[in-house]
Amino acid sequence: MTSHFGLLIVFSGFVALTFAVLMRDQPVSQLRFGFTLLAWLVGVAVVFGWLMYAFPL
Amino acid sequence: MARRKTPEPTANNLALFVCVIAWAVPGAGHLWLGRTQKGVVLLAALPLMFAIGLWLEGQIFSVDLFQPLVALAALADLGIGVACLLAQGMGLGEGRVVAVTYEYGNTFLVVAGLLNMLVVLDAYDIARGRA
Repeated sequence: MTSHFGLLIVFSGFVALTFAVLMRDQPVSQLRFGFTLLAWLVGVAVVFGWLMYAFPL
Repeated sequence: MARRKTPEPTANNLALFVCVIAWAVPGAGHLWLGRTQKGVVLLAALPLMFAIGLWLEGQIFSVDLFQPLVALAALADLGIGVACLLAQGMGLGEGRVVAVTYEYGNTFLVVAGLLNMLVVLDAYDIARGRA
């Protein structure tokens, strides 16, 4: 698997899952927190990746 | 003057024991403390993340004090516990620098270890009655 975006989602999924389990006790809260965190992680990475087009190396 | 309350030795020992098993096997500390749901999820997720890191041809670093960043990465790798030692013992985690996924693999391995360190801290807090 060499898709950067695919690996980003898998990686963010593990991080979001772990934090959701650690920071919330109820399954419903865990799901809500986990999906919110996942969306933020992926969304911020995509936005920063898009912004970096303006600053080529 | 208020006297500081000294923690009971048994509580300290239990907390330390929980830390050790939580480090050795991700989720084991939570399982030991009766947090079954959390323990099972962590037991499945963190070793899987570590295994994906190995599959992506990441490297388990050795402690090298002359290269501080490598030493920190090695400590982070060790955070996953017995899985790291087993992988090293089986000759896995050699890493293939020219592989496209090498850096991805390193990231998965390091972060799996760091997340397990957070899990250990959470287990410690639970054992001490703080969570």
